[in-house]
Amino acid sequence: MLGDPIARRALAEVLILAVACGPLGVWVLLHRQSYAAESLSHGMLPGLVIAALAGLPLILGAGAGVLVAAAVIALAGRDERVGSDAGVAVAVSFLFGLGAVLALAPQAPPRLSELLFGDLLGVSAGDLAVAAGLAGAVVVALVAAHRPLSIAAFDRPAAASLGASPARWEPVLLVVLGITTVAAAPGLGNLLLVALVLAPAAAALAVTRRLGRALALAAGFAALAGVGGIALSYYGGVAAGGSVALCAVLPALGGLALRRG
Amino acid sequence: MSAVGAEGLAGGYRAGTDALWDVSFSAGPGEVVAVLAPNGGGKSTLLRALLGELPYRRGTVELAGAAAYVPQTERARLDFPLGALDVALMGAYARTPWYRRLARADRAAAAAALERVGLAERAGERFGALSGGQRQRVLIARALVQDAPVLLLDEPLSGVDAASAESIEALFGELRAEGRTLLVATHDVCQARAWDQVLCLNGGQVAYGPPAQALSSEVLQRTYGAELVLLGEGGAAVSVSHHGHAH
Amino acid sequence: MRAAALSAVLDAFSAPYMQRALVEVALLAVLAGTLGTWIVLRRLAFFTHSIGTAAFPGLVVAGPWGIAPQLGALGAALGFAAARERLARSGRSDPDVATGLLLVAALALGAVLASDVYPSGAGVDRLLFGTLIGLTPGDLALTAAATAAVLVVDAAGRRSWLATGFDAGSAPALGVRSAAADRFLLLAVAAAVVVALDAVGALLVVVVLVVPAATVRLLANDLRALRLGTAGLALAEGVAAIWLADGLDLGPGPVLGVLGGAVFALVALLRGARG
Repeated sequence: MLGDPIARRALAEVLILAVACGPLGVWVLLHRQSYAAESLSHGMLPGLVIAALAGLPLILGAGAGVLVAAAVIALAGRDERVGSDAGVAVAVSFLFGLGAVLALAPQAPPRLSELLFGDLLGVSAGDLAVAAGLAGAVVVALVAAHRPLSIAAFDRPAAASLGASPARWEPVLLVVLGITTVAAAPGLGNLLLVALVLAPAAAALAVTRRLGRALALAAGFAALAGVGGIALSYYGGVAAGGSVALCAVLPALGGLALRRG
Repeated sequence: MSAVGAEGLAGGYRAGTDALWDVSFSAGPGEVVAVLAPNGGGKSTLLRALLGELPYRRGTVELAGAAAYVPQTERARLDFPLGALDVALMGAYARTPWYRRLARADRAAAAAALERVGLAERAGERFGALSGGQRQRVLIARALVQDAPVLLLDEPLSGVDAASAESIEALFGELRAEGRTLLVATHDVCQARAWDQVLCLNGGQVAYGPPAQALSSEVLQRTYGAELVLLGEGGAAVSVSHHGHAH
Repeated sequence: MRAAALSAVLDAFSAPYMQRALVEVALLAVLAGTLGTWIVLRRLAFFTHSIGTAAFPGLVVAGPWGIAPQLGALGAALGFAAARERLARSGRSDPDVATGLLLVAALALGAVLASDVYPSGAGVDRLLFGTLIGLTPGDLALTAAATAAVLVVDAAGRRSWLATGFDAGSAPALGVRSAAADRFLLLAVAAAVVVALDAVGALLVVVVLVVPAATVRLLANDLRALRLGTAGLALAEGVAAIWLADGLDLGPGPVLGVLGGAVFALVALLRGARG
């Protein structure tokens, strides 16, 4: 497998993503933002599709898609009578539907499956460089924001007085989530990327409650999932993105099931 | 003959200890019982036990027939698309099996109950649009529709405007005259003095009896502990962290 | 000129598959009117979406295994529900996380299975986004049966759902059996999702069951008006969507998603401008 350049690049991509997605996932779970993570990734589809149609780099489409999705989702969830869950459902189904309409219009090239489920095996050296840059930015941001994020997560009432106001740091987390989503979308697809964000982190938090260890473990589990998934895909001949996602999710589910709360 | 009572009731097991223990009391028809307890003192546990919602650990609960429950209005979803009449009508749910429609008589009963609490002209208004006192009266109307011999009320007068409070207290008098039994959880000690019996709780039962005996300063001290402020010997005692309505 | 346009529209609906689609839409509108308001009021939008997504792997294998797609979907949905129950019982973890993980697992499983079953990817689109031409009379019969069952469950359970949603704490004192009735509500929603999957796809069941109800919720504050309005809006949007989908040669799901979302936004804007 390592002799195959395509597989090598795919491996490199998932390992790069693992470093960012794993720790970020821990923060997402601790701040109870998993629904936001899923909605954001599903809602970014029109951005990806438009970029693909226009021949632009997917990364740009992902970025624009995430920004628009965040704005639309935030707006739609505001009415209290409708409720934020129904509002988000309206927003995500609108965006996702829009992406599908644009992608399925007959003249368009049929690449929708790749946008949804990822194209790990089509990763180029240039893509790797971009992913590395974004992942690096995410890691730096998480390191810099480590203390305020942990205070806001564990001691929310006191956080503001300790200089870690959730009102300011939760949006920071969401921005970092957005960047990670953008980085992971081309490789894993917008439907499956949450797997690498949420699952290794869930597994890590099931094993330990110590923050530092959880962050490191999450990255480790994510890396393992990446390697396992690529291997499964390479030797088993099945979809790469799905395999990585499964390798991430199944151990996490097992861990959750076995844990006696 | 007891309408509602308990004997050695203990329950609400939580984190190694009971929330409630040693409760023994008995109230007959036409009696209004004040239940005084600090926050976390077992009041909610008692109400749940009396409603049959707590698999209580020890002791017995006695209830002659069903009990109607009047909760605090904050627990209700105020954005729900329900009018005052709709809420009052819910009182008929208990006697209507799920496969049967609500009877016209039930609707009439709901309208009559709203009239009785002085809210006839607001029957069509949305529940959430009413004031706190009006909402409390609607919930009482719901209990009236249930037509139960025993009513359990959770702080029906707290945070309620003076007009609603007067109307509610007058209603208590009427219900008493009808032979119903009321159990009223309250923090208003001077309110409690006006009623028939007082039950003081602080986890365990501190006292039960007519207010003249049960509301001694010693009992109040044991019930409310540090929350209590006594204004002069035999004068009105006010609990510092809760508001009663002003006389 | 207008007569020609009108007859063009009517012509589009004359094909047998379009007439079946119309019947399906009408039935789904009844389902939307019956359950949609409850889904919004009882905060079940995420649950509705998850059943649809969870059904995806079941849909993928239904074809090759020769079973009805609804059956595959039902099996997958039940598996999802059982797994969710197991996870909820075992840990103190956030239930949202367990559900989110299960959904992603369902998508990943479906993707992996689909790469075996549908190497070209075209069949997967139909499962994700729905179909007009693929609706058989058998599908219609199933949807009709589900609709009838849901109507019965609604008639029996709605007082309980109302009382429990309004104030869960005082519901038992009113003689309401909240747990049992709520279980039936979830089952009814699951049944509605399973029959809606064919038309709108696994990922967009909310466009029928949630979006019209959410839109009407912006306007109305009376339960009867909410339910009737939702059914009417779902019908109108559904008919428009299948006409557009037919013209654009797309699955109805995404078209309805865009249409429903646009209407929601419009209503929200107009209401904001007035109020």
